[in-house]
Amino acid sequence: MNELALEIRGLRKAFPKVVAVDGLDLEVRKGEVFGLLGPNGAGKTTTLEMVEGLQEPDAGEIRVMGLDWKRHGQEIRTRIGVQLQATSLFNKITPREALDLIGGYYPKRRGTDELLDIVQLQEKADAYHITLSGGQMQRLALALALVNDPELVFLDEPTTGLDPQARRSLWDVVRRMKAEGRTVVLTTHYMDEAEALCDRLAIVDHGRVIARGTPASLIADLGLPSVVELSFDGAAPDPAAFAARLGSPVEVRESRWEIPAADPKSILPKLLESAESTGTTYEQLHIRRATLEDVFLHRTGRSLRD
Amino acid sequence: MNHGKLLWRQYLMECKLYLRDRGAMFWTFLFPVLMLLGFGLIFRGGNDPKMPVVWVQQAVVQPKDRAMLDTLAHFPTKLEAMSAADAEAKWQKGETAVQVEPTPDGFRMKVNSYLIAQGQMTAQVVQQAFLMSQAQLGGQPLPKLIPVSVESPGHAHETNYAAFLLPGLLGLNLMSMGLFAVGMVIVSYREKGKFRRLAVTPLPKWVFLLGQIMHRLTVVLLQSAVLLLFGLIVFHIHNQGSYLLLALIMALGTACFMALGFALTSFAETSETYGAISNLVFIPLMFLSGVYFTLDAAPKWLQNAVIVLPLSPFLKTLRAVFNDGAGLEGHYLGMGILAGWTVIFFGLAVKRFRWA
Repeated sequence: MNELALEIRGLRKAFPKVVAVDGLDLEVRKGEVFGLLGPNGAGKTTTLEMVEGLQEPDAGEIRVMGLDWKRHGQEIRTRIGVQLQATSLFNKITPREALDLIGGYYPKRRGTDELLDIVQLQEKADAYHITLSGGQMQRLALALALVNDPELVFLDEPTTGLDPQARRSLWDVVRRMKAEGRTVVLTTHYMDEAEALCDRLAIVDHGRVIARGTPASLIADLGLPSVVELSFDGAAPDPAAFAARLGSPVEVRESRWEIPAADPKSILPKLLESAESTGTTYEQLHIRRATLEDVFLHRTGRSLRD
Repeated sequence: MNHGKLLWRQYLMECKLYLRDRGAMFWTFLFPVLMLLGFGLIFRGGNDPKMPVVWVQQAVVQPKDRAMLDTLAHFPTKLEAMSAADAEAKWQKGETAVQVEPTPDGFRMKVNSYLIAQGQMTAQVVQQAFLMSQAQLGGQPLPKLIPVSVESPGHAHETNYAAFLLPGLLGLNLMSMGLFAVGMVIVSYREKGKFRRLAVTPLPKWVFLLGQIMHRLTVVLLQSAVLLLFGLIVFHIHNQGSYLLLALIMALGTACFMALGFALTSFAETSETYGAISNLVFIPLMFLSGVYFTLDAAPKWLQNAVIVLPLSPFLKTLRAVFNDGAGLEGHYLGMGILAGWTVIFFGLAVKRFRWA
C-alpha cells in the first residue's frame, strides 16, 4: 500500500513566454491537508492542472495514488475530485441538476441532497446557476468536487474573492473532508488560510518549492518568532542609524517599519530609549507573532501579495 | 456506467437547458416563420403592385399628351399628375422613381438611379406606351398588347414566392444551426473553461459531443416541422416530393453544416473572433446560394463559382424535390458536391479540434 497520495518529481512546464513550473518536487501523504502557498503566477495552478490531467508536463513524473496518467487516466479521474479556479457551468442549470448530471459520470457517487447539506446550499438547490452569489458558486464547486466520493481532492484557490464569512464556511467544508479521511491539496495566496487549514505546506515561487513543512515548523525555522511593527508620528528617523542604535535590522515597508525579534522583551527597552534619544514619537508600536507571510518575505525578499 | 444511458442523460439535459434559453428559441422557431410570413406577403404576386409614374402637368394639353395618357392606362402604371413645382419638390426629396414631362415637341423622362430596380422597368413601359401613342396619332389602330399568362414553368404545380422561399429558409436554418449554434457552443465552452470541468471527469468526450449533435438534430427536426406546417397553413405550400427523400437531403445538409461549424471553431480563440469568422462564411453563402432569389441575373462566372459551394446545390436539390416532386436524377452531381464538402469539413474538424 502506497502511503503517498501524490508524488511529484522534477515537474516542468514551459509556455512560449514563461517557464511556469521549473523542476518542482512534492510529496503529499494520505489523509493530510496539503497547501501550495505562493503569490499569483508562482506556478501553483499550472502544477495543479498537470496533476489533474488537464495539461501535459514537459518533463517530470506525477503519481496520483501511485497511478500514472498515461496508463491509468480514467481510473485517476474516477478517484479524484477537482475544484477548478473558476468553475464555469451552464447558466441555466440548477445546483441539483449539476450534481445529478456530473455525479452520473462516475461509477460511485454521493447523494445530491447529502452534498447540498454539506455545502449548505439546500435553499438554492433549484435556482439557476447564474443567480448564485460568488460564495454559493464556490460552494457548489466544492460539492461537485465531492460528488464521486473522491479519495483525493484538489482545490484551486477555493476562497479567492469571497467575504470573510463565506471563507470561514468553506474552511469548515475542507475540515470536514479531512475528517472523512480524504486527502486535500489546495492552493492559496492567503497565509491565514494556509495556517488555518493545512497540516503541511510547500511555499512555491518561480515554479519551484522554496520551503516546505508544517506551518509551525516553517515559522519556527525563521528563528525569529516575533515581529515588532512601528509607525511614526511625524518624520521617521534614518533607518540605518536607527538600526545601529537598536542593534538589530530594520525593514522599511511604506509607512511602517518591521523589526524581526528573537526576544521581544529585550528589544522593547531599547526601542523606548531610541525614541527618547532621537526625539521621535511612535504613532503605533505593536508586537505580533511571526506568520507565513514573514517566512515568504525572508525567503524571497518579496511580499505574497506583490 | 453504461454509455448509452450516459448519452441519453446528456442529451436530455441539453434539451432541457435549451428550452430555458428564450433567445435561442426565438431565433430557431419564430425567426424563420416571421421571414416566411414577411417575404411571402410582400411578394404575394398578382396585379397589386403598380408602377408609379410622376406626370408633370402642362398648362396646354396637346393631342400627343392625351394619346400618351390613354396608352399608359393600358399598362400597370399608377399615374400621379402634379404641377411642375410639386413634381420638382418630390423629385428633390428623392421619392420619385420615374418622372415624365411633356415638352412642346415630345416628352422628357427622368429615372432616379437610387430606385433603379423599379425605375428601369417603368421606363421601358413608358417607352412602349410612347410608341403606341405615336402610332395612334398617326391614324393607325391601337396595336394590341401581347396577352400575358402567369404560369409556373418547370414546376408540377402552381407555385409562388413563398413556396420558392421555404426550402431556402430550411437550408438557411441548417447552416445557421451548424455555424452559430453548434460552433458557438463549442467556442464559448472552450473559452469559459466549461470543457475543463468535463475533462476532469471520466465522461468520454464523444458522449458529450454526440449528445450535442443529437440535441441539435432534434431542434432542426422540430424547426423544419414548424416551418413546413406554417407554410402549409398560411400559404398552402405542399411538399410535392417524397418525405423520405426530403429527410435524406436534410440529413446530408445537417451533417455538412454541423461539420463546417466544428471545423471553423478551430480557427477562433474567442467567441468574438468566432462570430466574425462564422459571419464571414455565412453571409456570402446566404446571398450567393439562392436562398431568397435565383442567381439567373448574376454573371456567369459567379453562377459557376457558387455551384461548387455547399449551400447552392443543396438548395437546388431540396427545391426540386419539395416544389416539383422530383427524384434525385439530375442532382447526383450536386449531392456529390455536398457530400464532398461534408467529408472535407469533417476531416478538418477531426484534425484540428481541441478542447482547451
